[in-house]
Amino acid sequence: MFENLSIPVGPSSCAEATTAKEAAFRIDYPLPAARNTRIIALDAEAAEIVRAASELEWGEARFYVTSDPGTELVTMDGETVALEGEIAESNTLVMVSVSGENAAAMAHLGEVCYNQGIMTAGLAMTPGDLDSDALHHLRPHARVLLVPAEPDDLVELLWATRA
Amino acid sequence: MLRTEINELLTQTGPGTPMGELFRRYWQPVLLAEELPENDCPPVRVKVLSERLIAFRDSSGRYGLMDEFCAHRGASLWFGRNEENGLRCPYHGWKYDVTGQAVDVPSEADNGNFCASVKLKSYPMVKLGDVLFAYLGDPAKQPPLPEWEAYTVPEGQVFTSKRLQECNWLQALEGGIDSSHVTFLHGGNLESDPLFKGSKGNEYNKGDLKPFFEVVDYEGGLLIGARRNAEEDTYYWRVTPWVLPNFTMVPPRGDHPVHGHFWVPIDDENCWAYSFDYHPTRKLTDVEVAAMRAGKGVHSANDAAYRPLANKDNDYLMDREAQRRGETYSGIEGIALQDSSLQESMGPIVDRTKERLVATDAGIIKARQKLRKAALALQEGVEPVGNRPQDQKVRSVAKVLPREQAFVDGIGEAMRAEPGKPHTTV
Repeated sequence: MFENLSIPVGPSSCAEATTAKEAAFRIDYPLPAARNTRIIALDAEAAEIVRAASELEWGEARFYVTSDPGTELVTMDGETVALEGEIAESNTLVMVSVSGENAAAMAHLGEVCYNQGIMTAGLAMTPGDLDSDALHHLRPHARVLLVPAEPDDLVELLWATRA
Repeated sequence: MLRTEINELLTQTGPGTPMGELFRRYWQPVLLAEELPENDCPPVRVKVLSERLIAFRDSSGRYGLMDEFCAHRGASLWFGRNEENGLRCPYHGWKYDVTGQAVDVPSEADNGNFCASVKLKSYPMVKLGDVLFAYLGDPAKQPPLPEWEAYTVPEGQVFTSKRLQECNWLQALEGGIDSSHVTFLHGGNLESDPLFKGSKGNEYNKGDLKPFFEVVDYEGGLLIGARRNAEEDTYYWRVTPWVLPNFTMVPPRGDHPVHGHFWVPIDDENCWAYSFDYHPTRKLTDVEVAAMRAGKGVHSANDAAYRPLANKDNDYLMDREAQRRGETYSGIEGIALQDSSLQESMGPIVDRTKERLVATDAGIIKARQKLRKAALALQEGVEPVGNRPQDQKVRSVAKVLPREQAFVDGIGEAMRAEPGKPHTTV
């Protein structure tokens, strides 16, 4: 198995570099700005979950509600804004669905994100239900799907990805 | 990203820690059966969950797992004489049976009565397949014996290896549920490794380098589905089960054996990867077993102490030429070492406050959440899942499904282990 391999000569860099002592010398600096995540609720129940999450402290995350056809978004303050402008600087879009309504909006969001190279994630908030309209309508348009998601999954996902 | 206190909660598994208590609700692999090959064979040191233990097999074939150190003066029983149904400390002759009970203290005049008062802490240990499993928790909470399919198939259908990994258990586990790294790190192995090559699934793997992921919450843990384009109206699904706290399986390829891992904490800075291959309907062939022993598939070529021959002391035998030629993506030979080299490079316990997770890490994020919740719930008296037979009778699956079908529906009973049932594979 190990014939003809170029075996390093001299002290091993990996053995020295992987100790806890060496870990202390890793450069400590503030991490770059948070991800520009957009979180979009696709029905009334999802809007409640998204609103609750929006009240926590976030970096660059912004929260919206939309419905078919999905070209316009409504902010948590009730302002209507154009999708294109809101996601121009985004790198991740999270779609949240409970009822599975507004499938056309999901498709539109997915298409716009695909064309602009924006990562899409979907949360089918249907606790205990592995087969739902939310799942079926989100699936084609979300590169990552949590099934079934619970309300704190949204917060966990945003927190873990530094939104 | 994790807060420091959550990182510590998840990575510390010693006695009295929340995660340590969670682990102590499960039977865990602690030795390969080959390490105690016959009655009265030499005892073996075991360190698991930050506890120093000694394992032995007595004259009657019973297995014992107990405190490594003699109750008298604290000498290691590794030096002990394994004879006549007990392990005798060579220092002053104190002898213990497989339950840790002293059965002979020859220097004491009141030998019998004194013996009754001396007992080392001990744990039950049983042989299942080619692995010895032990339970280190509260005897009153001991779950049924594990029923992982790999350890219920007939003799000759399973092969298990173990490999030292010099980092915290969670780093290793997270590699096991991180489906998005496979395309990159292991991409070169699909058609060269004898335990992977030749399947139709490999073509789908290579034909779609940007899989979609579905992370499905199920009772025993998670099912992580990776879907790739197959034919015009179908997807190729690879479904990886994770069962709490440290069991993962790899989806099958063709008629090759199915593999998986237990990631067992030794202490907070080291773990064992117990890696198995089994076939549900046939014996493993001599060629397959030879490949496994040689370190192919998910296994590694190891020294007598189960440390990989390619390790951090020799820079994992890094081969820059092979990396340049594209034979291996990282320059490291073998899937197991490709993973462990990078996971060890993160340091003994990676600082997760510094990481930059992305949406495709959703499986890792969800697994951490479930581990944290389970550990904290146990502190409140809520018993965990994953230690019940119904959670353990799970299979990984590879299947081509119509595009509109949810994979959980599509795979149906295929993920449920049943004796003699062929696995679902592509």
